[in-house]
Amino acid sequence: MSGFVAGLLHPLALPAHVLALLALGLLIGQQTARTRHVSWAAFVAGAAVGLTAIAFGVGQTSAADVLHATTFASGVSAAIARPLPTLACALLAVIAGVALALDSPPETISIAVATATLVGTGLGASLTLAIIVTGTNYLTRVREWNWARLGGRILSSWIAASAILVLAVRFVRGQMF
Amino acid sequence: MDHTAQPRSGLFLTINRWRAVAAAAASVLLLATPALAHTGSSAGGFVGGFAHPLFGPDHVVAMVAVGLWGAFLGAPAIWLLPIVFPLVMAFGGVIGILGIPLPGVETAIALSAVVLGTMVALAARPPLWVAAVLVSAFAIFHGHAHGVELPPGADIVAYSVGFVVATGLLHLTGIAVGLLARWPAGRIAVRTAGGAIALAGVAFLSGFG
Repeated sequence: MSGFVAGLLHPLALPAHVLALLALGLLIGQQTARTRHVSWAAFVAGAAVGLTAIAFGVGQTSAADVLHATTFASGVSAAIARPLPTLACALLAVIAGVALALDSPPETISIAVATATLVGTGLGASLTLAIIVTGTNYLTRVREWNWARLGGRILSSWIAASAILVLAVRFVRGQMF
Repeated sequence: MDHTAQPRSGLFLTINRWRAVAAAAASVLLLATPALAHTGSSAGGFVGGFAHPLFGPDHVVAMVAVGLWGAFLGAPAIWLLPIVFPLVMAFGGVIGILGIPLPGVETAIALSAVVLGTMVALAARPPLWVAAVLVSAFAIFHGHAHGVELPPGADIVAYSVGFVVATGLLHLTGIAVGLLARWPAGRIAVRTAGGAIALAGVAFLSGFG
């Protein structure tokens, strides 16, 4: 598998990243068009900053914990299902983007392969989020599909519950920060 | 005017029903012996987390009872409970994981089956906030028990996802069965199931779980 493809699939290979993208996507998908577009752009920008930081050799960070925290915040907000201010949603998205990128260091020595992997990771995460946001927004707009809105909220609460349990265990195990 | 004859109004019946529930709960509490039905024997990973709630019969019946009761309570409780319960239960789980002690956890879990089963059996419809507070209080104890029993070497992300999904599916199972209450025969079946859950809870409290 080439570095680019490995990077592209990276966000889908780690359960913590899948949960983070799902929770954020479910949240952003519930918002107005402006908030959706700004938040997605904020996520892409955040991911770009995080991946650039990795390329410049940033060391060990607490990105995993920050990512779990954003997953929890996104999940709870999506479960509550109230419109968020654009700034708040975008802030959550940019933090998630940076954290997800910093938590995705490529496991290779070659600079060319590592660069391709980082580009793939950024693209994969951004596309995945766009798909989840679009799908969620479509499902929540159909007036007759109340079950879809409720399903999304129930799923969000499950994700938030998982995230807070993970954070607690990481804290107790001394893995946090 | 004869003041001895009480009107047989809906309110009077409701008050009597609640008194009966309170008396039954009090007597069960006085006779209670913790059943310790949570054995806490599961390994790490998604399968371990998924299996954990399913191997505690007291947990299973209480989760199903929440769903059954939600179906009886109707909207918005039917969709509010499965959204709120996992979050509150996770809060209890965090307390357990952090090692903060909670008194009478096993008794409270068994009692949750008694109380929630009784609510279903009586087709009780208290105000939404009463139902939410009651269910949330029990959710903390259920979560605490699971948090304490979390295996030390587990892949925590996969384990917690499995655990939450299994709990949520038990809820949804209860709701699905509870929807039978739309029909007269189904209503009897659901209330009977509630009675069976309450009896199971009494068995857990008595040490037969």
